Amino acid sequence: MFDLPIEGAELLAVEFGDIVNYFSVYTAVLFVFALLFTVLAIISRPEKPVDIVFGGDAYYAKKIPPEQLRFQRFMAIACGLATLGAMISGDLFNFTLFSSMIGITNIGIVAAVKNKHVLEAAYQYGIVAMVATVPLFGGAAIALATTGTLSIWELAGAGAVPLLAKMLLVVGVMGEGMAPFYIGKAEITRAPGAPYVLMIHVSSLLLFLRVVEIALTV
Amino acid sequence: MSYEIALPVVLVAVAIAFIALMIEKDDLHRLLLTDLAEITGLAIIALVATDLAEALILPGLVVGISELMALSEVYLVKEGLTETPKRVMHLEVMDSAPAILGGVLVIYGIVLSGFSGGAVAGLGLLFWFFCKGHDEAFEIIETASGYSWALWIAAFFIFMLAPQYWLFAVMAAGGGILLKVMAKMALVGTMRGGRDV
Repeated sequence: MFDLPIEGAELLAVEFGDIVNYFSVYTAVLFVFALLFTVLAIISRPEKPVDIVFGGDAYYAKKIPPEQLRFQRFMAIACGLATLGAMISGDLFNFTLFSSMIGITNIGIVAAVKNKHVLEAAYQYGIVAMVATVPLFGGAAIALATTGTLSIWELAGAGAVPLLAKMLLVVGVMGEGMAPFYIGKAEITRAPGAPYVLMIHVSSLLLFLRVVEIALTV
Repeated sequence: MSYEIALPVVLVAVAIAFIALMIEKDDLHRLLLTDLAEITGLAIIALVATDLAEALILPGLVVGISELMALSEVYLVKEGLTETPKRVMHLEVMDSAPAILGGVLVIYGIVLSGFSGGAVAGLGLLFWFFCKGHDEAFEIIETASGYSWALWIAAFFIFMLAPQYWLFAVMAAGGGILLKVMAKMALVGTMRGGRDV
């Protein structure tokens, strides 16, 4: 599979039976990126948002309650771990499971904020993420039914996976990693609690890059 | 051949579920409809019809349920539904039936033994606690659950270290898992909101 142009050289392959988790140059770069932001989520202190009063010198400093901080940090770290898994998974179904875990943790990061508008956004995003598991699992199941295996390692370069399955996978990832695109309407970024909110963007960006790799490989 | 026929049928079902989601505007109803859509997704996996498909449905189901629970929590907080209901569900059958139904289920569960027996007997206890209420029952159930788990693990060691006593190990493991599953399910029956939960 490492003769494919997108992968680059093979760095490491971890075998579990027919499922091979692999680090090519491409996935290794994504993995390191995800690892970096997971470490950042672990060690960094949360920001303290400040609202300036319009037309004056006054400002409000918002306080983040420790429970919310703790919950958001936990969810951000869980999101980072799920991203790490999704980056190197060599199994289509494991990839879909990691993707939906990223979706769940993203809901968690946003929903920690007790603000009506933010919760509304989290709810609507959550429904999209939940419905997106249908095309995700459907894509993996159709790939399994037509080829008889879920191993990306075995499917690589064969072109055996039908276009429908690939399209369903991409649509599913679009649903799970939707949060950054939802911002135009929603209040997610106004929620206090960076750098944990940042994790939403990082995870969905990496998820998109990985599903492109999978769609081009299998 | 049947796969080619069944897949379009299931895809039509998926399309119907998604159209329903698009039309529905009420938030709570949409939450319920997402579960419907999720089930059609599981049907696509089930069409593969192998042991592997069966093994894939379980994580799919778990993901669906966990997302449903997370979203339900978000919905409760969003709508500010934090007060516990003053009057929990109460029906006539809950006064008359629990002793008989609970007893029958527990005895039948013990006859079945093992995981499925535990589920049946646990259902009986769940019904009992749900109807009759509970006080101080937690600690006993938790203790029994802990001991039965230890029994279950010990049975596995017997399988590995002294395989000639396999019958004893089977009995111990079957009894252990029976108690364990029963205790787990009985705890669900005590969750009626209020101070103990």
